[in-house]
Amino acid sequence: MGLLSIIRKIKRKEKEMRILMVGLDNSGKTTIVLKINGEDTSVISPTLGFNIKTIKYQKYSLNVWDVGGQKTIRSYWRNYFEQTDGLVWVVDSSDVRRLDDCRAELHNLLKEERLSGASLLIFANKQDIQGALKPAEIAKVLNLDAMDKTRHWKIVGCSAYTGEGLLEGFDWLVQDIASRIYLLE
Amino acid sequence: MAEEGPPPSTQTLDPIAQRKHAAMLERISNHHQSRLHASAARRSASAASPSFDSVAAFLDRFSELRRSIESDLARCRGAAPAAAADICSAPAIKPELEKVSASISDLERLLAENSYFLPSYEVRSSLKAISDLKEALEVANSELLPRKKFSFRNKAPKKESATLVKEIDERKVPDEEKSNLAVVRDTPGFRNEKGAVLVKKFRASEEDEGDFTLANLESCKVYLKGRFRALFVHRLKDCNVFAGPVLGSILIEEASNCVFMLASHQIRIHQATVADFYLRVRSRPIIEDCSGVRFAPYRLFYEGIDEELRVSGLGVETENWANVDDFKWLRAVQSPNWCLIPEDERLGSVNISEVTEQDNDN
Repeated sequence: MGLLSIIRKIKRKEKEMRILMVGLDNSGKTTIVLKINGEDTSVISPTLGFNIKTIKYQKYSLNVWDVGGQKTIRSYWRNYFEQTDGLVWVVDSSDVRRLDDCRAELHNLLKEERLSGASLLIFANKQDIQGALKPAEIAKVLNLDAMDKTRHWKIVGCSAYTGEGLLEGFDWLVQDIASRIYLLE
Repeated sequence: MAEEGPPPSTQTLDPIAQRKHAAMLERISNHHQSRLHASAARRSASAASPSFDSVAAFLDRFSELRRSIESDLARCRGAAPAAAADICSAPAIKPELEKVSASISDLERLLAENSYFLPSYEVRSSLKAISDLKEALEVANSELLPRKKFSFRNKAPKKESATLVKEIDERKVPDEEKSNLAVVRDTPGFRNEKGAVLVKKFRASEEDEGDFTLANLESCKVYLKGRFRALFVHRLKDCNVFAGPVLGSILIEEASNCVFMLASHQIRIHQATVADFYLRVRSRPIIEDCSGVRFAPYRLFYEGIDEELRVSGLGVETENWANVDDFKWLRAVQSPNWCLIPEDERLGSVNISEVTEQDNDN
């Protein structure tokens, strides 16, 4: 039995999914994870390193890796690519000035071969802030249509502050991953 | 092991099975022997290379070697004018540079051999130092050995293709999209001012909604009264900024010689040089690529600010203003990039009750 099939088998048994959360600093990655998990989001320091959360979601167990987005530590994102089933790219929709940075970092990430099979969910976060760009505008600025046609992706507007849109996004992500990994059920 | 024959529970083994069993035992013992040999060889090899009993000893040795490589490199480059004037002397430089290259490889091996006991930060910073040395060597090579045949074999093609990809990526975004964006979005804020007094009062109706931007200001005094959602600060020089409570986060990039008085849930400060921050913050403030930044507690006053702080979840002093994380200094000892403002140098409490939007002179 090959290693890959063993891994598949283990995953199938536990119904595990590995989710990687990335995006520029100040986009709200940690807040999203804590909000989804029903935790207090009022005291969150900028992430120095990473957090791991195991979240029961529907009948699945999500291992969510929330990796800090500060410039200094972006080069360590690559250490978390292995075996990622779902990629969540979080955007601060009100930070118009840094959208160019955001696009460059995202496209850089998507060149990574180890992430080529991962489903991509883009959260256009902070929709509760007046003046935030709408998901369609974010999609345009990030040039999402230029992505590889084989990529499964979706952009969802959300607010980690109010919780709006978070479940919609994760529902899609989990369904999309499930339809690939647990195809045989 | 899919051996045919009787099941293992059988008491008496037939001769064939016995032979097989013996052969297997021999194989196992051979294997064990060879493993012992290998590990002994490894041990003696590692004994031959210097080993260190403490991180500090390794770091000392590492930086000593690094300095010597740097000075070798500097010496080679010091001879550069001569080499440039007389191309024939280039061959004399070449073995020197090769020696430097060999010492860099040695240094790399030293790090690799000792990486198992080093803290990961030290491994990273040592790796960075080595890659810097390699880069410097590369530069020296290209400067000092101009006649060397270009080798596209190694680095050059990689770099070229990388930049190519980048260019293509950038070209994929048509210009009109970018300009569209600028037209569509002119978020609230003060921009491109010099020597102005800038005042904004957030009304109760807008306080839960908007973000605010301060960008490209020079020698300005900025007063933001009332609550608002998020603050972006970009390129400020010689400015004073006093702001009421921010419900979300504050992002500051490129500020020099400024004073900020801010209250917020999160604060990130990037590329600031010589700036004082008077903060009240629920989480730990962070700095990245900063130098000469100092911190003290928030001391702003205007009518109604206490209530505004309270409803913003900032009514209580958390003392987090002093718990600064420096992303460029991930060590236990105090970062050289920031400090607390000595009490006798701090501003007293600042009362901006009298400042109104009529004072705007922009």
